Order: sequence, then C-alpha cells, then structure tokens
Amino acid sequence: MNTTLHQYLRLVSHEVRLEFKNYHALTSLLVYSLATIFIAYISYRQSLDPITWNALFWIIMLFAATNAIARSFIQESRGLQLFHYTFLNPAVVILAKTTYNILLLSVLGFINLSAFSLFFSLSIHDWGQFSLGLLLGSFGLSAVLTLVSGIVSKAHNQAALVAILGFPLLFPLLITIIKFSGNAIQGVEWSLNQPNLYLLIALNSIIVVLSFLLFPYLWRD
Amino acid sequence: MARSWWWKITALVLLFYTYYEGFIGEIPRMPILNETIRNLYFHVTMWMAMLVLMICNAFYGILYLNKSDLYFDLVADESARMAMVFGIAGLLTGMVWANYTWGAPWVNDPQLNGTAASLLIYAAYFILRNAIPDDSKRARLAAVYGIFAFVMMIVFIMVLPKMTDSLHPGKGGNPGFNKYDLDANMRMVFYPAVIAWTLLGVWMMSLRVRIRRIEWKNEDQ
Amino acid sequence: MKINNIMKKYLVLISFFLVTRFTAFAQDVEMADTMRSEGKIYVVVAVAFISLAILSFYMIRIERKVTKLEKEMKK
Repeated sequence: MNTTLHQYLRLVSHEVRLEFKNYHALTSLLVYSLATIFIAYISYRQSLDPITWNALFWIIMLFAATNAIARSFIQESRGLQLFHYTFLNPAVVILAKTTYNILLLSVLGFINLSAFSLFFSLSIHDWGQFSLGLLLGSFGLSAVLTLVSGIVSKAHNQAALVAILGFPLLFPLLITIIKFSGNAIQGVEWSLNQPNLYLLIALNSIIVVLSFLLFPYLWRD
Repeated sequence: MARSWWWKITALVLLFYTYYEGFIGEIPRMPILNETIRNLYFHVTMWMAMLVLMICNAFYGILYLNKSDLYFDLVADESARMAMVFGIAGLLTGMVWANYTWGAPWVNDPQLNGTAASLLIYAAYFILRNAIPDDSKRARLAAVYGIFAFVMMIVFIMVLPKMTDSLHPGKGGNPGFNKYDLDANMRMVFYPAVIAWTLLGVWMMSLRVRIRRIEWKNEDQ
Repeated sequence: MKINNIMKKYLVLISFFLVTRFTAFAQDVEMADTMRSEGKIYVVVAVAFISLAILSFYMIRIERKVTKLEKEMKK
C-alpha cells in the first residue's frame, strides 16, 4: 500500500517536472486557449448573455482539454513507457496521469476564466459555486480524456481519434456541468443546484473507478 | 442456443401478434395522440431492442477482457452493429411520430438527445475498430471503450432524463401521456412486442456472427 | 428569465393536464372509427401480414442456409 502511494506521488511529480522541463508545450497550450477566446471575442464584439457565454466557455474548455490531454501518452519516449509498464502498476499510472491532467486543466480553467472576464463583462452571481463547478468540470473532462488518450496511444497515436472518441463520452458530463454553472451564474438558490452537484460528483467517481478498472487491460502486450 | 428454433419461431409468432393487436387492439382515446399511440408497439420497441443489444455488447466486452477469446469480440462487434440498425430505425420512426404529435421532427427532449448521443458513441466505437489493424489489440481496445461508453450512455439515457422535464411519458412528471403507462390492454401488447423485436434483433445478430465464423474458417484453410 | 421559463413550462403542463381530463371524460377524441366499423382496417392487417410473412420466410431461409454451411465446414 505504502509503495503504491509512493509510486503514485513520484509519478505525479515526474509528470509535473517533465512539463516544466519543456515548457513550450505549456506555452502553446496557453496561447491556443487564449487565441480561441480572442476569436470568440472578435466574433461577438459585445457582452454576451449568460447562457451564451456559459456554453461558449465550456466549449472552449472542451477543446483546450482535448488539446492538452491528447498528448499525455504521446510525449513519452518508448523506453520510458516500457519502464513504466513493466515495473509499475498500470492502475497507478492512469491515476497519476489523471491527477496531473486534473491539476493542469484546473489551472488552465481559471486562466481561461480570467481571460473571459477580461474580454466579456461577466456577471457571475455566485463565484464560489462557479469555481466549484469549474473544478469538477475540469476533473471530469481530464479523467475521461486521459483514458481515451490511453486507448488512442495504443491505436497508433492518431491524435484526431481523441476528439472523435472522447466527445460522445463527454455529453452527459457537459450537459450537467453547463446546467450547474449556468445556475451559479444566475444565482439560483444553492439547494436547487444541489442535485446537479451530486450528479457531477457521482459521474466523476464513476469515471475514475472505470478508468482504474479498465486501464490495466490496455497494457497487456 | 444459436441453432435452436424455438426462440426464432417465438419471435415470428410474437411479431404477427404485435402487428395484429397493433392495428386491431383496444387503445385509450387520447387527444393529440389519437391513433398514433399505436406507434408505441413499433417505435418504442426499437429502442428497447437497441438497449438489449447494447447490453449484449458491453457484456461480451467484459467476457473478452476476461477470457481473451476472439469469438466474444465477434459477438460484441455484431451486437453493436445491430444496435445501430435498431437505433437508426428508432430515430427515424420517432422523427415521423414527433413531427405529427409535437409539431417538429426534432424537439429538445432529453430522451431524444440521449439516444442521438448513444448513436454517436457507437459510431465512434466503429471508428476505433477500423483504426486498428491487429485483431487482438482491436478487440481489447474496443472492449475497453465499449464498456466505458455503455456506462456513460446509461447515465445519459436513464439518469439525466429523470432530472429534466421531458415530453416523453413518465419522465419529469409529465401527466399528459401517463395514462398509457397504466393501460393494461396496451401493456399486454407492448411487452410481447418488445420481446419480439429484441429476439428478431438477436437472431439477425447471431446470423451475422455465424457467417463471419464461417469466413474465418475459410480463411484458415 | 429562468423563473419565467419555469412558469411557462408549468402553465403549459397544467393546461395540458386539464385539457386531457375533460376530453377524456367527453370521449370525443377523434379516432379512425369509421375505418374500423367498415372493416377496412383488416385490409391494413392483411397487407402487414403479407410483408411479415415474406420477412419470416426469408429469415428462415437464411437461417437454414447458414446451418447448412456450418455443417459442411465441420466435415
């Protein structure tokens, strides 16, 4: 148990260090999402009503997430991969990757949010609820997309496949998260938004448990 | 099982029963729906057959991951294919019916969106299958994706509609159509109809499986 | 805006509910009663049965063909 936890923590820190070592990947990610937001801004050129910008925000998050996570199994060298899968528990590998991607996407989400509030005049009634939604949404997006990019990494790494395979799986999550953050924006009473919160938490746990169970089968070469 | 006749004959007999009772049987008199309520036997049953075939797909996916026998993958593949056939049939029949009762072929209804999403999910499943040339690897990745997709789809079509208002009966407290849920006469036709269409689907699926097994043996010789 | 939407939905639901109640009592929902009383509905049933019969015949043919092929493969 202790060694598993140790492995897990080491893998997460390894991912973080790897990311900062070649930080141009991070920069390109940042530029990608900022440019997308700017495109949205110059296409609308006015303040949007809450429903529109909420949907727009999550669509941009979806694309940024796909872009960020599609490469999570690609950037590793062949030798390192071999090392991972012979000496480490695959379930720990997926959990570590998922954790790292959740961290990355949450940070990216808050950067996106600040960029959004810079370009569009936002009127969010309940910032606490919206931030909670942002965290839970990043959690679900990265968990699903990490498993999908694990699958795709075994299918000759066709990066376009991540979007094709991942988007349909994300429908239930996106519907719930858009409803939840939409309620947060409009300042709907907390008790009315609670079912959505529970559903989000349940969905996220299902996703994590499933990827924990299914991922080891991917590494049976 | 695959070669026995009794369940195939049952399917055909029940189909005749469905068509007879479907046109002649007693139905409740309801506004807006009028005679179209009979579509219950010919449209909703498509979804039921699709659902059973999708359960089949996930079940055989799990079997494949445990036993690594390519036969299980063959059944999983063919049941997904047949599920798509019934799904498309259900979508088209539903669009015709919706056009005359709800006024438009596509209304923003969680039930409808859920089934469209599940069709997209299984389309992605086939794209994944086509992307991998190696047999056992294809089977493994497809099983992992299929199981994950099945759980997400169940969330989408079973859980989400319960949380929103729907035009479909019994969901979100819609009183208008609840009556036909309770009608004993219709139930006596509806359940046999579901069994009939499901058995027909399983029959067609098993025929394709058997033909492909013959092809395999031919290639081996 | 949101509340307005919810209100609208409930108003529609309630009115729909009332309409169904009264018309259900009145039994004046328009159905294809003439077609039924003239017995023309049996024409529809006959046509449906013929198409079903052809479908069944074809399915059984395929089934037997596949069984035959399987037996030949075993030899």
